[in-house]
Amino acid sequence: MDEIVVVENLVKKFKDVVAVDGISFTIRRGEIFALLGPNGAGKTTTIHVIATLLRPTSGRVFVGGYDVTRDPDKVREKIGIVFQDPSLDNQLTAYDNMYIHGKLYGLRGRELHDKIMKLLEFVDLKQYAHKQVRYFSGGMRRRLEVARSLLHEPELLILDEPTIGLDPQSRAKIWDYIRMLKKEHGMTILLTTHYMDEAEELANRIAIMDHGKIIAMGTVEELKAMLGKDVIYLTLEGDAMGFCSKLGFAKNCNVIGKKRIEILVDNAPRYLPEIFNIALMNGVEIREVSYRRPTLNEVFLHLTGRELRESLEEAPLPIHRSPRRWRRSR
Amino acid sequence: MNRDLDALIALVYRQLKRWIVSRSRIISIIVQPLLWIVFLGLGFGTIFSAENIDPSIIIGNSSIAKYIDPSVVRNMLSRYFTATFGGVDYITYLVTGMAAMTAFIGSFISGISVIWDKQFGFLKETLVAPASRKFIILGRAIGDSIINTLQSLIIILLALLITDQINPWGIPVALVYIFMMSLGFTGLGIAMSLKFSSMEGFQMIINLLTMPLMFMSGVFYPINTMPEWMKAIAVINPLTYCVYGTRYWLAGVETGLSFMNPITSLAILAVFMIIFTAIAMVSFDKTTVED
Repeated sequence: MDEIVVVENLVKKFKDVVAVDGISFTIRRGEIFALLGPNGAGKTTTIHVIATLLRPTSGRVFVGGYDVTRDPDKVREKIGIVFQDPSLDNQLTAYDNMYIHGKLYGLRGRELHDKIMKLLEFVDLKQYAHKQVRYFSGGMRRRLEVARSLLHEPELLILDEPTIGLDPQSRAKIWDYIRMLKKEHGMTILLTTHYMDEAEELANRIAIMDHGKIIAMGTVEELKAMLGKDVIYLTLEGDAMGFCSKLGFAKNCNVIGKKRIEILVDNAPRYLPEIFNIALMNGVEIREVSYRRPTLNEVFLHLTGRELRESLEEAPLPIHRSPRRWRRSR
Repeated sequence: MNRDLDALIALVYRQLKRWIVSRSRIISIIVQPLLWIVFLGLGFGTIFSAENIDPSIIIGNSSIAKYIDPSVVRNMLSRYFTATFGGVDYITYLVTGMAAMTAFIGSFISGISVIWDKQFGFLKETLVAPASRKFIILGRAIGDSIINTLQSLIIILLALLITDQINPWGIPVALVYIFMMSLGFTGLGIAMSLKFSSMEGFQMIINLLTMPLMFMSGVFYPINTMPEWMKAIAVINPLTYCVYGTRYWLAGVETGLSFMNPITSLAILAVFMIIFTAIAMVSFDKTTVED
C-alpha cells in the first residue's frame, strides 16, 4: 500500500466554530508532507484528528489502513508525534521520559535501554541523559521530544510546528535530523508549519491551508509555477480592474486586496518602465511598486490576497460572522 | 494485555519517581498532620485526661461536697474518657485517625496533578499511546495511592514516638485500609479533574469537599456522640470506615456505630474503591483534548 494517510472531506467543528472545513489529502509512504498556513488555519486540529486526539465532526481519516475513529489503538501504534507545546515531564530525567514512553509502547529490558541511548545520541543529548528536563533549553527539549517520538519506530512521524520558538541554530539542527530521518530511514513525515522556508526546505509536497480549507497542494515547483517567473505588485489610486485590462504584455493580472494588483510577467525589470508609462497615460496614480521572484509567500498572497506574514498576527481560530473579523478588515 | 500491564507499571514508576524528586511536597504533606497532632493533640489531650482535671472543680462547695472522695471522681472521669475514646488517651486517638487523614488529603493531589499534566502537556503523551487508557490511569491512581500510604506510614512511625498505645503489628493491616481508601478517593479526584481545566476551580471544589468529610469521619472525635444529621453523613462517608479500621488495628479502639466492625469496614471500602476507580478509568478512556 502506497498511501499511509488518507483524509477524506474532514470537517471539525468546535461548537459553532469551524476549525477544519472539508479537507482531503493523501500522504504517500516515504515522503515529507507539509501543511503550511497561518495560525488558526486548522493545521493542528487536522493533526490532532489524525493522531486520534479529536474525533472528526464528519469525514473519514485513515492511517495505515485503519480508521482513526474505529481503530484508534491501531493508529496510535503506527504514529509518533511531537506536539507544538512540550509534552515532557519536567520533573523527570531525559532517560526516564524516554523509558516511560517505551513502556507505554510495549518496549522493555535491554532492547529499550539500547534504543534510548542510541536515540539520545542521535539528538546529541546522551551526556544529559540523567539530567532533569526542567534544566533543558527549548531546543534541547524539542530534540528530546523528537527522540522520544522515534523510540517505537513509528511508520508515520508527525511534527506540529517543530521549530516554533527556536533560535536559528536549534532550528537548523532539527532540520538536519528531519532530513537524516528521511534519507537514512525513509521515514514518512507529516509536518505543520507557518514558516515558508521550512516547508520549502523540507517538504516533498505542500498543502497550503487557510481558514480550515486546503487552497492549493503540490510540490514547491508546482505551487510556484502558478505564478511564473516574476510577480510585480502595484498599489494604486483609481480603477484597478481597468488598469489591469490595459496591460497586454502581462501573462496574468489580478486585483488582490484593496487597490492592489498582482502582475505576472517573464521579466519584471523590463516591463516596469512600460507599466509607469501606461499609468501616466491613463491618469492612474501609482502609490507603491515592488517585484519579487515568487516564493511560497507570493503563492499564498496570490491565493488569499493576504501575506502569510500578515496573517500570522490574526486570531488563532477562524471566526465566522463575528464582529471581530469585521473590525479587523477596516 | 502485556503491554497494558507495562503501561500501568510505567505510570506507577512515574508517580513514585516524581514523588521522590519533589522533597518539598513530601514535607508539606506530612507537616500539616503533624501540626494538627501537636496543637489539637496537646491542647485537647490535657482536657480529655482525668489526671489533669482538678476534682474539686467538679465537686464544688455544695453541702454534700465533703462526703465526696476526689479520687472516686477522678476514677469516674477516667472511666468516661475511656468509654468515649475507646480505651486510649486522646493523642493516641487523634494520631491513629490522622494516619488515615494524611492519605485522604493526599488523594486529591492526584486530581490536581492531572490538571497540571493537562496544562503542561504530559497528558497528551499518555493519550496518544497505544496502551489501554484504562490501565494508564489505573497505574497513575495506584502509584499515587502507594505514595499516600507511604506518607501515612511516616505519620504512624512518628506516632510511635509520641504514644506507647499503638500496636506495631497492626500497622501492615491498617495500611491495607488506608491504601483502599486512598485509591477510591484518588479515582474520585481524577474523574472530577478531567472535567476541570483550571486549577483554581478544582481546588475550590476540593476544599469544599475535604473539610466536611474530614470532620464527619471520626478523625477528631467519635462518631457515636455526633448529632444525628452528622452521623447520617458519617455513615455514607467512606473515610469513616478507613478511620475506624485504621484505629482498630493500630490501637484496638472500637468507637463506632453498632454495625461497624473491621470486616464490614473493609468490605465497604472495597466496594467504594472498585466503584470510583472504575469511574476514573471509564472517564479517562473517553477523554479527548477538547475538554
